[in-house]
Amino acid sequence: MDREKLFKDAQDIIIKCDNDRVEEVAKLALSEGIEPLEMINEGFRVGITKMGDLFERGEVFLPELIQSAEVMKKATDILMESLPKGIDTKRGTVVIGTVQGDIHDIGKILVVTMLQANSFEVFDLGHDVETEMFIEKAKETNADIIGTSSLLTTTMKYQKELEDELKKSGLKGKFKTIVGGAPVTQRWADRIGADAYAENASTAVREVQSLMGS
Amino acid sequence: MQKYATRMGDGFRVELTEDEIKQDIEEGTNDASEKGKIEPLSKDAQNRLLEIFKCPDKSVGVERGSEVILSYDSGTTKFKRANVSVSKIQSLQIYERLIGADTLELAHIDYSFKPVKPIVVFEQPILEQALLMTIPPLFYGAMPNLGLYSQPDGPCENPADLLPKGKISEARESYEKQIEYAVKDMVYVGGQMYEAGADGINFDTTGAAGDAEFLAALKAVEILREKYPAMCIQMGMAGEFVLGMHGELYYDDTRLAGLYTHGQLELAQKAGVTIFGPTVNIVTGKSLPWNITRAVTFTKACTDIATIPIHACMGMGVGGVPLTLSPPVDALTRASKAMVEITRLDGL
Ligand code: B12
Repeated sequence: MDREKLFKDAQDIIIKCDNDRVEEVAKLALSEGIEPLEMINEGFRVGITKMGDLFERGEVFLPELIQSAEVMKKATDILMESLPKGIDTKRGTVVIGTVQGDIHDIGKILVVTMLQANSFEVFDLGHDVETEMFIEKAKETNADIIGTSSLLTTTMKYQKELEDELKKSGLKGKFKTIVGGAPVTQRWADRIGADAYAENASTAVREVQSLMGS
Repeated sequence: MQKYATRMGDGFRVELTEDEIKQDIEEGTNDASEKGKIEPLSKDAQNRLLEIFKCPDKSVGVERGSEVILSYDSGTTKFKRANVSVSKIQSLQIYERLIGADTLELAHIDYSFKPVKPIVVFEQPILEQALLMTIPPLFYGAMPNLGLYSQPDGPCENPADLLPKGKISEARESYEKQIEYAVKDMVYVGGQMYEAGADGINFDTTGAAGDAEFLAALKAVEILREKYPAMCIQMGMAGEFVLGMHGELYYDDTRLAGLYTHGQLELAQKAGVTIFGPTVNIVTGKSLPWNITRAVTFTKACTDIATIPIHACMGMGVGGVPLTLSPPVDALTRASKAMVEITRLDGL
């Protein structure tokens, strides 16, 4: 069986949210000797990235994106199971939430969905989350990254508070930070000393990946 | 090379050359055109915008005779939010006599239809008194705010909990149930305030929770229109694009998810809205020439087809105005002038 054809099938399965065929194609890839990680990266993940882009352009909607994310999860589970036990397959752990005083969470849900679909373990603390809570959860879960969402110019200051608290407690390098939300910009991220900023859910995945690499 | 002072979408001051402004104008209109599948602005209109951005004056205005109506939403909550201690009626009088508002809006500080329901009988006498003390048309306004009908604020399961778990059909059912509750509240409050004398009802920030909320508002408008044929109904939107949180909701065969400004307007008109407020979001990482041009392009797609007055939503983070705590006057006046002169709308 042609590898390229399998990769293409994998992409289509994600884009069409095709829950019925995912198992068959994932298993076929394994029986053809394709490396699980390669099948994910070249096949299924390309599909979910496309879904993210289609979502940003308003061509698909939240339920479809979530269904694709579910199919993606099934595919990754099947492929990862074939790896020898003990290999850590998750790409990183992210604690995320909307900052104190802010109840906007639609955008954050999208970011969570896309990160989960890309094999990150995500602890979503919800909205109106106090700075202390982010740090506690990050410690408890030994997280790599803390992500904060702020949709109000009046609550952005809590993203700075997080940076200040991390510095104060000597945890600044331990947990990387990423900020987002409509009023937030790269300039704001630089000003407060956050490690990354992303404008939307697809770029959030890219930024989180590069934080993990750095 | 000469540079012109302008800003980014987050209000940050920058200076751009004429060529950079031109390029941002072109990219802004093309972005709206591609996303909304609408016509980009003509070269003439783009040149007009260039002049507005090159003008060295701090604030700009429209030519005499081109003035438009200034309507204000959430009227009686804004001074309170700025910690100015005035009563609701005093707020309305300030809008009328000091700010030059052409329409007024009475509103409850908890600005959604649901929390107004239990206090409607307290709002009615204030409205009656306000009517006796002010002259411009007086609206009663609130947000449909569908979020209040799901847990922890309401009876339905919260789609924000269900969706990430992949429980899509449950989330959809919850939205459908929320629509029923919300329609009842909007019809009740709208009807009660109209019967107490309001000149109109304003559905503010419609669609904030996505397609289900837009559908609820359209249904409520339909019922109110039928019951009160002469009622003025204003609908201000939450964004340029209806978020597909449910994804499969239709109004008269039109799928609501993904509708851009002009598509929203068509349905609002059909349902019986009499003043429509298109809303275009700001992109904080892009310049004002880019953002204002984009907002104007989306709004023009409405004015080109509207059979009802268009009052564009302009303010922090919408309509080309930067997302800041208080809008800078250079940006606000440029966005307003651009809207009025290029889209020929009826009000702001
Ligand atoms: C929906 C909405 C609401 C809903 C929220 C429902 C919910 N469950 O989220 C309701 C009606 C409850 C609401 C309430 C209020 N709102 Co509101 N709301 C909006 C609205 C219309 C859309 C926001 C949205 O969901 N966008 C869609 C999502 C997909 O985009 P997004 O959030 O930007 O997320 C994307 C990116 O930013 C990024 N991202 C987001 N988070 C993160 C996090 C990380 C880590 C990363 C990397 C990336 C990232 O990725 C996302 C996906 O692409 C905006 C206006 C607008 N059109 O933008 C106003 C807006 C944000 N609200 C505003 C205001 C003022 C309020 C209220 C104070 C109004 C009031 N009088 O009650 C209250 C505040 C309540 C509170 N304490 O938080 C203002 C803010 C102005 C300012 N100066 O800050 C806005 C701009 C509207 C306006 N001009 O008045 N609101």
